[in-house]
Amino acid sequence: MNRIKKYINNSNVSRFRFIVQILAFFLFVYGGYFFIHVGQQLPTFACPYNAGSPGTCYLIAMQHGLHMEWKDLISYRGLAFFMGLGTFVLFFIIFNKSWCGFMCPLGTLQDWITKVRKATMTKFSRYDQLGFKRLKKIKYVLLILIIIIPLGMSNSFFGAPKISHDMSAPFCQICPGRTVLPLFSGDTSQLFIDFRNPTTIVMSSLGILITALFFVGSFLKKRFFCFFCPMSALQFLFSRFGVLRLTKNGENCTKCGNCYRVCDVGILEIAEDVTSKNIVKDDCMMCFKCVEACPEENCLDVKVLNQKIFSSTEEGFFKRYGHQEELTKTTKEKDA
Amino acid sequence: MHKFTDTDRFNRVKKTSTIHYNMEVNKVLSEIIDDFPDNPEGMNYFYDKFKIPDGSGSIYPKGKKLIASMCIHVPVELIIALDAVPVRICSGAYSADAAGSDFLPAKTCPMVKSTMGALYLDMLPGNAKPDLVINPTTCDQKKKIGEMGDEVDKEFYMLEVPPTKDSEEARQYWQRVIKKLIKKLESVTGNKLTRKKLKRAIHAVAHAQSEFRKFMAMRKNVPVIYGKDALLVTNAYFFDDIYSWTTNLEKLNKELEDRQKKEITVSKKKAPRILLTGSPSIFPNMRTPVLVEKMGGVIVYEEFCSSSRMLYDTVAVDEWFLYDMIPGIADRYLKPSTCPNFSPNDDRLRKIMKAMDEYKVDGVVYQTFTGCQLYDLESRKISHELEKAGFPVLNVEVDYNPEDSGQLTTRLEAFLESVKDNKRKN
Repeated sequence: MNRIKKYINNSNVSRFRFIVQILAFFLFVYGGYFFIHVGQQLPTFACPYNAGSPGTCYLIAMQHGLHMEWKDLISYRGLAFFMGLGTFVLFFIIFNKSWCGFMCPLGTLQDWITKVRKATMTKFSRYDQLGFKRLKKIKYVLLILIIIIPLGMSNSFFGAPKISHDMSAPFCQICPGRTVLPLFSGDTSQLFIDFRNPTTIVMSSLGILITALFFVGSFLKKRFFCFFCPMSALQFLFSRFGVLRLTKNGENCTKCGNCYRVCDVGILEIAEDVTSKNIVKDDCMMCFKCVEACPEENCLDVKVLNQKIFSSTEEGFFKRYGHQEELTKTTKEKDA
Repeated sequence: MHKFTDTDRFNRVKKTSTIHYNMEVNKVLSEIIDDFPDNPEGMNYFYDKFKIPDGSGSIYPKGKKLIASMCIHVPVELIIALDAVPVRICSGAYSADAAGSDFLPAKTCPMVKSTMGALYLDMLPGNAKPDLVINPTTCDQKKKIGEMGDEVDKEFYMLEVPPTKDSEEARQYWQRVIKKLIKKLESVTGNKLTRKKLKRAIHAVAHAQSEFRKFMAMRKNVPVIYGKDALLVTNAYFFDDIYSWTTNLEKLNKELEDRQKKEITVSKKKAPRILLTGSPSIFPNMRTPVLVEKMGGVIVYEEFCSSSRMLYDTVAVDEWFLYDMIPGIADRYLKPSTCPNFSPNDDRLRKIMKAMDEYKVDGVVYQTFTGCQLYDLESRKISHELEKAGFPVLNVEVDYNPEDSGQLTTRLEAFLESVKDNKRKN
């Protein structure tokens, strides 16, 4: 048992994640072609606009589900909506936010773009902490909007006219998943500006603009889009019930900042917060790179149902960062 | 030459100080080596490092620039990567203290005085002749000697350490300070910092750290090494070549592992386990640790900037390019530092508390140098918290002057007795 533990703690989780991401990408982009269907409540960007998608991102189901009159909320329609939400939560709490780090095809795509940037030796950018705190609120604003807008299409708020049906599934209209993921099935039909009326012109132009931003942004900044993702905001509401957890034992932390340095989404609390036990923040995607980079014994732990499955260790840290080999190489060079 | 003093006097002071220094070194070394039986064989390499070198030649490789530094905020990775030799010059020599007094008020901390004296008289470890002295602005006294470069005929470079480390502003400031330092180092060495060399330097330091961590882990169990020896190991890191230091620590670690298996201990297994903290013990100022261990205690952890604080924390980066390595190094030399020049400094208390538990410490000796305000100021809170947690603490104020050992001996003796009593009762 101890040997297995040691093996896992010394292992390279990022490599494992890389492989899982490839598999998940194929599943969520091409799974439909293999008659796989995994439902309409997925807590990840399996985009139905892509013909190969084996399921549906819950955001689209939620936006359509909320397109109902107030009175329907307490009817079978409302019940259906809440059952859908329940399914989403069930899917989600098993893997918690690792849906973002391991499964989301849009997230994977951004990681691949990061690899391209690295190959060109281009420096990545980081938000400063002030900008970080401001910008991270955007995803909550988006989440509120995609709840209010569908309701506003069926109901009148305070006597105001109902919102036009052209705003149906508003987030999908601006989501880069809709434009980008179909490209992997050879479908470019989502790259268009809809000139039917002013609303569609604005929304589809925004969609194209955000798609362009997605590519430029994620080239310059790791996981650029995730920062604004309303799915991430929706998930975080249920994160504390997650089966999979990332915990920190502040007593063992020296604040060396290694975890923050490797964090793709730039969460500073991971290094500075020495009191919280649960260290999953709204931007966290549970990639566990922080655990890999932590040299303190059991400072950061990945737990399933409170059982440690992967922990930070001194030995694992020095193994992963390849220091050992490098020195033998240098001493040999020196001797020669 | 020395602008403000006449050559005659300088030569005279240099001559007598050198004689005193040699005597001091030999005496302390013999106390450390000969008064204790069963020193590990692997320690011989480290003992030899402190012996007076033959002749007046420098022990450092020729043709390389020598960068002297003080405190623990100067990233050695940068110096190594620029093909220069890092030497930490914080001095523990009483024989250099008098010469340093010329520059500083009487109530200055002896470590700062001694370092100034050693710089002035060229009595640095291994006859180092530094091309640049990096002087971090930590305590007030270190800050002010930064203005006295001319008087000791050395080029000083002020490394601006922020007064606090927790705020984002401090981090940003420090990142820029390190970038500026790189420019300076590049111009002094005439070399350019490259990705490959910096990566290799980070790995070299990390390897040293991984051996140091193994060494420390051994001290959590039955005592197989004395603290006086551990202090010499880390003290040698100040001026030794990092590769040979690491290789020799590796050897020592193997020997200690073996001793641990066979349960060959240096002191009695039940000896009171002491944690040493406060103003740093630097060779040849080894009085406190040597006294503690001569009287039957064993030091299992030193929370010193000459020891664990210097070597413990590592650098990790996400992308092995200069743009990520440099900020990574900068963070490592600021954020985990528990130097008392930072306010607040709760991390130091947390670190000590963790060590109390991990190293099964029975009592704490808190050493403050006369005139060292910062450690003095922090002693109250730390002693209070430790006592609240049920650990006995002894606060001692010490000087470099070996004459006033009498009182220190009595107090340490009484303290160790009470720790032993405590231990027996529990």
